[in-house]
Parts: sequence; C-alpha cells; structure tokens
Amino acid sequence: MALVVLERVRYRYPDATAYALDDITLQIDAGEFVLLAGASGSGKSSLCRLLNGLIPHFHGGSLEGVVRVDGLETREHPVHELFAHVGLVFQNPDAQLFNSTVAREIAFGLESRGLPRDEIRARIEWALDATRTAQLRERAPHSLSGGEQQMVALAAVLALRPRVLVLDEPFANLDPETIARIREILRNVHAQGTTIVLAEHRLHATIQDATRLIVLDHGRVARDGAPRDVLSEDLSDLRLNTPFVVRLARACGWNKVPLSVDEAIAMAQASGCDEWRACPERSRRMASDKEQWRFAPPITRHLPLNGSPVIRLCDVSFVRDGHAVLRNVSLEGARSECVALVGKNGSGKTTLLKHLNALYQPTRGSVVVLNQDTRRARVSDLARQVGLVFQNPNDQLFKPNVREEIEVAPRALDRFDRAWMDKLCDWFGLEPLLERSPFTLSEGEKKRVAFAAALAARPQIVALDEPTTGQDFAFRTALARLLRDLQSEGVTIILATHDLEFAQQVALHWIVLADGEIVADGAPDAVMANDAAMARAALRPTAWFRMQQHGVGATLCSRPSTPLCGQPHRAAPTNPGVRNA
Amino acid sequence: MLDPRTKLFLAFAYMVVLMFTTNIVALTVECALVAGMVFALRLTRAWLATLRVLLPMTAFLVVVMLFSFDVVAALAGALRLVAMTTAFFVFFQTTAPEDLANTLVKSGVPYAFAFILTASMQFIPVLSRKMQEVMEAQRARGIRLERDVASVRNYPALFAPLLIQAFTLADQLAEAMEARGFGAPQRTFARDYALRGGDYVAIALTLIFVMVAWQVR
Repeated sequence: MALVVLERVRYRYPDATAYALDDITLQIDAGEFVLLAGASGSGKSSLCRLLNGLIPHFHGGSLEGVVRVDGLETREHPVHELFAHVGLVFQNPDAQLFNSTVAREIAFGLESRGLPRDEIRARIEWALDATRTAQLRERAPHSLSGGEQQMVALAAVLALRPRVLVLDEPFANLDPETIARIREILRNVHAQGTTIVLAEHRLHATIQDATRLIVLDHGRVARDGAPRDVLSEDLSDLRLNTPFVVRLARACGWNKVPLSVDEAIAMAQASGCDEWRACPERSRRMASDKEQWRFAPPITRHLPLNGSPVIRLCDVSFVRDGHAVLRNVSLEGARSECVALVGKNGSGKTTLLKHLNALYQPTRGSVVVLNQDTRRARVSDLARQVGLVFQNPNDQLFKPNVREEIEVAPRALDRFDRAWMDKLCDWFGLEPLLERSPFTLSEGEKKRVAFAAALAARPQIVALDEPTTGQDFAFRTALARLLRDLQSEGVTIILATHDLEFAQQVALHWIVLADGEIVADGAPDAVMANDAAMARAALRPTAWFRMQQHGVGATLCSRPSTPLCGQPHRAAPTNPGVRNA
Repeated sequence: MLDPRTKLFLAFAYMVVLMFTTNIVALTVECALVAGMVFALRLTRAWLATLRVLLPMTAFLVVVMLFSFDVVAALAGALRLVAMTTAFFVFFQTTAPEDLANTLVKSGVPYAFAFILTASMQFIPVLSRKMQEVMEAQRARGIRLERDVASVRNYPALFAPLLIQAFTLADQLAEAMEARGFGAPQRTFARDYALRGGDYVAIALTLIFVMVAWQVR
C-alpha cells in the first residue's frame, strides 16, 4: 500500500524564483527504508518538510500537485493533525528541543495529541527505553552533548509512533559512535514496521540499511531504485559523497558494486588479486576528468620536516567546571607537518586546539607555540601566527561583504598582503562571491569564506576543527590539496576530526584522544592497528585500512609501505593504553 | 510541592508587602524571611551567583538614593531590590517553566502566550553558549573582545553573528515546535495541576502575613 503519494509536486518558497521541488512524482510503500540523497540545495530538506505539512502550512510559498501521506491530503490538514502520522527529526539538535527536561520534551508531542495521562507516561518510558536515554530523563536538553540531544529528539518523535519517520540529515556533526547507535535504533523501528525516509548526503554511513535510494538534483528526482542498482550508474554529475568501496569498485571496473567494506573484501578475495593489481592503470582509464569516482588514496610520504617543533604541548591538563577536559597531553608538531587529532566528539580535540592561540590556558603543564609560552602571550598576538578555523562559520561572519570579511584579520593584525589575498580567493574560488553578503551564502560557501579568513593573516600554524563536516567530495579533495600546498610553504597543520577517511588523506601523524587523554600516537596504519586504542576512542578504521588488513590491500594500487623521501616518521610507534608522560 | 500559581501569588504578595513597608526594621525582618527560605531550600550557592550580578546594580541605586534622599531611604531601597529579586529567584528555581505555563493555560491564559515563556527560558542557555563561541571565534581572528572600553567598537563582531544566529535558531525552533503539534486544539497535560490543601494553607498564611505587615509598615 502506498503510504506516501506525491503527484507532479512543484514547490517554490515565498520570494524565490526557482523551484525547490520541481515536478516530483513518487510513491513510498509501507515498510520501505528510503535513503534520500543529493548535494546541498538539491531539495532534500524541502521534501522532508513537504511530508509533514510544514510545506506549505509553515513556510508558505506556492505548492502545486498532490501530496498524500497515510491517506491524508497534506494541503487539507494542518501540521498539528499530520505530525502524529509523519514524525520529523531535524538536523540541528540545538534548535529542536524546547522543554526543560528530557521527559517533558518527549511528553510535549504526546500532550499535543491529547493522549490520556497514563498513556503519556507509558510512552515516555517506552521512548526512553527504545533510545536507551533513560539516564537522561531529568536532564535539561541544552546541557546534553549534540549526540545525546539528537537521540532525545528522536525519542520525542518515536513516542508519537508515527507511521512514517522522516529525518533531515540527522547525522551532521555527530561522531561515528553516535551515528552507529542511531542507525541501530532506526533499524529496530524499521523492523517493527515503521516506514523511514532518511535524508543524508554521505551515503557510506547509511546505505546498507536502506531498501531504496532516491537521489535528488535541483529539486528533481535524478535516480530512484535499489541502492546497488543506483550506485552502479554514473552519478558523477550529482555531487554525492559516495562510499569509498563504491568509488574503488567503479575505478577498478568491477561488474558489481559492493555496499560495505566486508562485501568488498569478499568480492576481491573471490575474484583474486589480479583484478586489484590492474587498478592504477584501469582507474586512470576509467575516470574521466568529469568523474569524481577517483577514490582518494591515503598520502604515503612526508614532506621533509626540519627544525625544532613549532608546537610543543608538555604534560597539559585542562580543568573546566571541576571536570578534566584534557589530561597530561604532550605532543609536538614540526614545520611543514600535518598532525591529525582524532577522537569522538567530547574527547577534548577542540579544547586542545583552543590552547594553541591562548584562548584557553592550561591548568597544568605548558603550551609553547613558536618558542612563545602561551601563558605569557595574548590571543590577539598569537592570532598572527595561529589561524584557527572553527566548525561553525556563522560564529564569525559579520561584515557586509565577503571581501571585507576575509580582510578582517589581516587588517586587525596589520598584516595585509594583496598578493596573498588574491591567491586565497583563487584557492577557495571566492572571486564570484567577493561582493556578496556572507549571510546569503550557502553553508558550504560560508565554510570556504571562514577558511580564507583564517588564512588571511598568513599564519604559520593552521588549526582546523572538523573541516569536512557537511562538505561534499569535491570540497574534501580540494581541501586536501590545499593543505598539502600550505605545508610545502612551511605551514604546520593541526587538524581535529572524527573523519578518519579525510585524516588518512592528509596526515601521516595521528594522535588519538579519548576522554582528554592521548591513547595512541603514530602513523595512521599503526594507530588503526591498535585495537585497544581504537576501541577506547570509539573509532573505526577506514575502509582502506580494513581492506589492507584482509590482505587485499597489499597490492592495492602498488602502495609503498614506507615513506619514499624525507625523514622517517618521528613519532613513536603506537603504544596501547594510556601514554602518560 | 506547591502549585505554580500559589507560588506566583506568594511572590507577588511579597512584592506588594515590600512596596508598602517603609519601617526599616520591618523591612529587615521581611528580607530575613526570604533569605531563610533560600537557605532552607539549599539554593544558597545559586543565589550567591545571582547576587554577584545584582550587587553592582544595587550599589548604583544606593549611590543615586544617597544623593536624592537619605541613608535610611537608600538602605531601604537596596533591601527592597535584593529581596524582590530573591523572591522571584526562589520562584523560578523551584518552578519548571512548563508547569507555570501549563497552570496558566488551565487558568485561561492562551496556550501560545504561556508557551512563549517556557520556550524562551530554554533559549537563554543556548544563546549564552553561542555568545561564548562567537567571542572565541572572533578573538582567534585577532579581534579584541575583552571587558574594556577599547573593545566596545568591536562589538558588532560579537553581536552581528549572535543576532543572526538567534533569528535562525528561533525560526528553526518554531518549525520544530510545529512539527510536534504545537497549537493542537485538544491538548492534555502529562501532570495533573490542581490546588490542594497545602496551597490553600499557604495562601491563607500569606494573606495573614500581608495584613500583619500592613500593621507594622
């Protein structure tokens, strides 16, 4: 039975000239698990809002065609009648919780439905149980971590027992561990009969769960079918973040596309290694310039490192509100080096970065940046040497146009350099945006402006906090190349991320943080081979590494196992457990 | 625990008493009452934090009143300000905003209006965290944002990103509320709100207190 019916739907936001949804006709049956993919701006969010009536009731605009969900014509029914049939979980955890405790948060929707008191109580318990958030019951939502907040938002919607559960990029900003937990909950409710529509542009995290993949492009349905069938086609014009194994399979010309690493390993082993050895030539042949199927291989050699370390943290501990955020952290970063701090959200990565420019001072231990102890330095002085790129570009944009925005730091620090600014604009493709207001840009464009702004004062150290969040494949590739260019100019890069695929693309020195402690420090392969440290940090090795581990990767694209030039890696080999200095 | 409406009545009655009391001794006793309540409810620590914000304001009031009136009037003014703030501090510390809103709705206040109260309360901690984040992001770019006069001209760097994000946040919040049935006509409440014996006793005691206070004002 068709639970969701869309017939020739076109929708335009008020004051917009372009259609956000353009002639969409589709049906979703009860029991399907639909993965809704597409680049940002492709119409995913609009489609989500269409299903529960926020479009047109909340957003206005002009809607054509028929939208019927669970037998209800959405145009005829207000959102407060539709919400119990179609639950919607939003992307931003900060902006969807509005009660003083978790239990009340879950109760809100149930109260709206007018359920009797006993039923409300029973369903709160059920929802807390289903999402395993019972321990958060009396906590204030704003005091929770992003992952916990998203779990509570999901609980509040699940408690309504909607027939269709819609999620609009619920995984943005979450770490792999939390994503895995939410996926498990979704699989459970799907198994119990709930129809799921999940909007997400990174496919690798979710594709195995879905029964159907719909790809949107400019408000139209560009592809629709079983995940494997869709991924077997050429999707290069759709700006998707396709899974690594899919890119690999396409580059190598396999006749069947694997959806998971395990599957890829099984397929490779079954077909023999010859297929793999042929890889580099074949990938070159297969991948046209237009195709983004080229899988980004890990970097394998250092730029020559020289001189004494420019960053030195010595036994740093940091205590805030009686809670130890960093514990006995020691690390060094050399000129031209790229260091990746990896770990899940809340492990202390961001806090560590903020020590580099004296925004935070260590409670114990010392931070020395370019021979300057940060305890005796001011943030405004260190800002010349350390460029910090924060996760949320909206925290810094305030000028009337992009040009002024990126010139803020060099003007404030008296380090303006016209040639360098031109180079930055070129790197980040900002030329066409220079005269626009930063507030009207897309999130991806804002991020590029924030990068350029951080680099504008020509810092010798660049620290990036989760730079790949919400970014597409093209941006990631461009960023990896840019970081390489910066390094060759002598800049030290320090990168905080839980995106190991990206870390592997840019950094040969990994430091794993868990609960504010360094649990591993060394080359990526050594770190990922350290099961104890990876488990403590709640990280999973990359697809590339796992394939190598199973013997298939040894011949993969004739990858050298030792650095080709430069000094051998300085960092000590990985050392399981806690490394206290 | 008392019904939020009872507590609200108590707080307002107390405020009225403070307003008509001019006798400095009576005023001191009345202040001691609310201070005793703070200790009894173990809110001392949170209260001291509030005082830290309140004291500069009080000091300013005292100075102004010293010039305009006399020492006793200045002292009385200071006591009134602190006591009134404390009374409402106790009220908000012991009352969940939803409970207040829900009981107001039960008493006939439109739901949407009552709800603004609760939702905006949840908004404050989120915004104060945002402010911290914006400040860090801007200081990292070399923009001076300290607690001094020289930083004042850089305030647009703080307030522009903050305001714009606050508007976005408010919009998204409204959407999320809508998506969970805000404005549905037959709302029920997970809790039962009714005035019980304790509430009536508290209201009676308050009335007696007001009458006694009127006598000794």
